[in-house]
Amino acid sequence: MIRVRFHGRGGHGMKTASRILGTAAFLEGFRVQDSPLYGAERRGAPITAFTRINDHPILERGIITIPDLVLVADETLLEDPLANPFLGLHAGSLLFINSPTSTQAMAEAVAARHPTPARILTGDLTALTLEKIGKAQALSATVGAAACKLAGVIGMGALEKATRKELEELGLPSPLIDRNLEAALLAFEQTPRVPLASAPPQPAPLQGLVVPVYQPPARGTPSVAAPGNIILRKTGGWRIFRPVIEYDKCNQCWICFVRCPEGAISLDEKEDPHIDYDHCKGCLICVEECPTKAVVKEREVHAW
Amino acid sequence: MAIEHAYKKLKEISLEEFILPGTSTCGGCGGLEALRLAHKVLGKNVVFVNAAGCFTLLALFPFSPFKGSWLYTTMASAPAGAQGIRDALDLLIARGALSIEEDLQVIVLAGDGASYDIGLASTSGAIYRNLDFWYFCYDNEAYGNTGVQMSSATPYAARTTTTPAAVLTPEGTELPKKDLFEIWRAHCPPYLATVSPRHPLDLARKFEKAKAFKGPKLFIAYSPCPTGWHYDPGQTPEIARLAVETGLWALKEAVHGEVAHTYIPKKLKSVEEYLQAQGRFAHLFHPVRQEAALRKIREAITQYWAPYLRTMQNAK
Amino acid sequence: MGPQREEMLTGNMAAAWGARLARAEYVPAYPITPQTEIVETLAQWFADGTMQGKFVTMDSEHSMLTAAGAAAATGVRVFTATSSQGLLYAFEVLYTVAGWRVPLVLVNVSRALASPITLEPDHNDVLAARDAGFLQIHCETCQEVLDSILMAYKIAEDPRVLLPVIVNLDGYYLSFTREPVAIPSAEEAAAFLPPYEPHHAFFKASRPLAQGIAVLGGFIYSYFRYQEQLAARNALAVHDEVAAEFARRFGRSYGPVEAYRLEDAEYALVMSNAFATKGKAAVDLFRQRGERVGLLRLRLLRPFPHEAVQAALRGKRAVAVLDQNLSVGQGGITYQEVAAALYHEPSRPLLLSCIGGLGGKEISAGEFEEVLELMKEAAATGQVPGPQLLYTEGEQTQMAHLLDIAGKEWG
Ligand SMILES: Cc1ncc(C[n+]2csc(CCOP(=O)(O)OP(=O)(O)O)c2C)c(N)n1
Ligand code: SF4
Repeated sequence: MIRVRFHGRGGHGMKTASRILGTAAFLEGFRVQDSPLYGAERRGAPITAFTRINDHPILERGIITIPDLVLVADETLLEDPLANPFLGLHAGSLLFINSPTSTQAMAEAVAARHPTPARILTGDLTALTLEKIGKAQALSATVGAAACKLAGVIGMGALEKATRKELEELGLPSPLIDRNLEAALLAFEQTPRVPLASAPPQPAPLQGLVVPVYQPPARGTPSVAAPGNIILRKTGGWRIFRPVIEYDKCNQCWICFVRCPEGAISLDEKEDPHIDYDHCKGCLICVEECPTKAVVKEREVHAW
Repeated sequence: MAIEHAYKKLKEISLEEFILPGTSTCGGCGGLEALRLAHKVLGKNVVFVNAAGCFTLLALFPFSPFKGSWLYTTMASAPAGAQGIRDALDLLIARGALSIEEDLQVIVLAGDGASYDIGLASTSGAIYRNLDFWYFCYDNEAYGNTGVQMSSATPYAARTTTTPAAVLTPEGTELPKKDLFEIWRAHCPPYLATVSPRHPLDLARKFEKAKAFKGPKLFIAYSPCPTGWHYDPGQTPEIARLAVETGLWALKEAVHGEVAHTYIPKKLKSVEEYLQAQGRFAHLFHPVRQEAALRKIREAITQYWAPYLRTMQNAK
Repeated sequence: MGPQREEMLTGNMAAAWGARLARAEYVPAYPITPQTEIVETLAQWFADGTMQGKFVTMDSEHSMLTAAGAAAATGVRVFTATSSQGLLYAFEVLYTVAGWRVPLVLVNVSRALASPITLEPDHNDVLAARDAGFLQIHCETCQEVLDSILMAYKIAEDPRVLLPVIVNLDGYYLSFTREPVAIPSAEEAAAFLPPYEPHHAFFKASRPLAQGIAVLGGFIYSYFRYQEQLAARNALAVHDEVAAEFARRFGRSYGPVEAYRLEDAEYALVMSNAFATKGKAAVDLFRQRGERVGLLRLRLLRPFPHEAVQAALRGKRAVAVLDQNLSVGQGGITYQEVAAALYHEPSRPLLLSCIGGLGGKEISAGEFEEVLELMKEAAATGQVPGPQLLYTEGEQTQMAHLLDIAGKEWG
């Protein structure tokens, strides 16, 4: 069995990537499962998708905790505790990161910050996507193609058919599908073959079942008595672009503060705006709305 | 009650936040923007009574973004929940179990699907009973939380996941948007208004004005939804501006049933600019231009504004 | 024991008295036969100042139960009532308010469910709610209705429980039937049931609280849902304490089940609600001619009193569960629950299932005779037949005649 996990943000197309891999493997005659995992987030937050490929019926369901192949659509996700792409990586598995950084440099960075037994591979699928499709976020076809190559059991023909089918189902116009296909085939060619080894079956240690006890109602009932504690939850990791204020151009008009849906912009006593980067989701309304163009957008600095 | 704030300039808007950041709504959510602005006028002594929708996940165990209180009810019965809370607060205060300082303003928070469709009977009941409550409908013109299906608030010719633009239904949604404002107005509530997050002062003035009324205070907030309408999140204010300037979203209020427009565009902008900015209307332009559908949209706007524009002309 | 006057009351009036003596402060209502008399009475009492608080007619049972739950979540004592279609119309709200852990009392007047639409009772309505998180007390007499409502509040409001309760009575057979009911004095009732003062559910400016909050993640949901289970199981002991105090104060005692002439019985009927009276009459007839037959009446349906059921049926040769309900495709609902309770008994009785009284159909003395025959035959052969519908040859003939009149053809 090959277990593949995709990490992206909403809008990256990782569900579709997992389906391209799923359909391609299916066309190659395998038994396949693919599924996305949705959280509470409507859009922008980390999302995960899974594909399992086997030559006999699959006796697993749900999330993949011990993956053989992990594809990360955006390297900022490496640091995102909500995404946690390192979960369950083992010596036989491969961590593919979409990044312009070289494999060598990335491997060193990962080793320094988050040692993992898995092998590391990078590829700049964003550049390819930008060039062929024109939209940096539309990564489903290229990441799907890289996954097909790395899974090691899928041919170009199956990839092509699967990509077309999945994108048609999304209702993409055919010229756009053609461009996606071109990008996908290139991504397939560019991605090297790396042998994967499935994790050996894990022993299942006893988990220790509890005897549940009744808790006093002030504690044991589903309510929250800590108003505003959502501030503990960071949404800054959703950003692809970061709004940055150039204070010399700011004329303290309040517009960015008023328009920010999140309340992530506050004003100080001089009426200068300040962005709460822990929570700014990167919608860029402030960039669009600032009358003096004092808020500019910058590509999120890559952490790795 | 005296009007505390005139809201003549942006700088009168409260600096205090009542919904803290960290929620799971999409970046650029127009509904959240409208709610945040309204909350600034209402202050912190509120209890939201929520119907199922995107905003149900604003409060997600163990987190709450609110400085005030919250009760999620069901999709169809948030106004009934408001009734129960309002009545109970009144009873507790009347018998001295709760001091008047502990009182809360009760606010139904519901999407258009809940408001226009499944919860309409419950709302009608609450307005009929003259319940002293606020109703904040964030109208994103579809069932957003379930993935953007058509609701009766979806405008004619918008594409949703259940009204695809397809061979037999080239326009997508075939029916016009239900007129909830008029349905609510038929109940003659003391205060009823439409608002838009792009018009924060108009919005603030309306909430401020409504404070003077006891009974139902009802708001329909135009709520651009980047996820469901298919545009870049940064465009939310621009979409909202165009909705008003093209005459698609009328900013108005009704005091005891008497309607007044609070903003009348000097000249209506071409609606096509609005439609072209959103993926949900893209099929009206590509691969072929759907002239009949576009005409229908234009005519509906003209028909709506004709009496008011005429009054304006006469006034000149 | 305080002074209690007796009056002729219908089951519905007894329910209204229960709410009144409990000093229910808030009553959202919606009419439905055969429950309506309850809310009419309460409306009158609120209107003339007999009761203090607020009565409000809602726009549906769905709204009614939401308002009830929300008011309880704000901190007042709430009463409401419905029946049949109304209970099912409010179905999602049953789970919702139970999850809020609010101790309101809902009286359900049982009435069979459409289709075909009808007015007479069976218990599919109330049993549909059995998994919702409401406790359930099923009553046999008008007196028990009044008493159970008072007890229900005391159980529900106990911090070891904090779950809502349904008190059930049969439409027509109790709802419209008058019999003498002892009415406790307001003072005695107040001494038994102190005011409701919640520490877990309230709305006030000084202590913001987000109630009814969404959760994502099965382990969070499991925790809260299972707290309901633990609370409901706590209610077994709380019920017994409350019943003991009730007996001390008012002289009437109630168990989670009622054993009628069961001690030395070889055969037993298991029944609930008003038709249990008919079962008791049958038992008396059997006893007169020396047959050792008794009856077990299920009173507390939630939490289900497994041990009390085991103890009551231990050593019987055969037991017939008479279900006045039908789980289509399965059979009797309480049969399954009694069977589960008896499964681990070392020498469990043969357990027969009968379905009777659907849509209020009479269960005649002759049908009880048939049930006893079935039990004896099973005891003799050791074979338990499949579920038996209590439906007589005479009824069958009559039904055929009606089908002819209705122009219904064969084939
Ligand atoms: C009785 C019932 N039916 C259906 C649903 C599923 N549901 C949950 S949220 C939702 C969409 C709500 O749409 P809307 O009111 O427009 O709010 P939005 O999601 O757009 O915020 C639906 C249909 C439900 N929760 N309850
Ligand atoms: S789907 Fe639309 S309404 Fe819902 S949270 Fe996202 S932007 Fe807001």
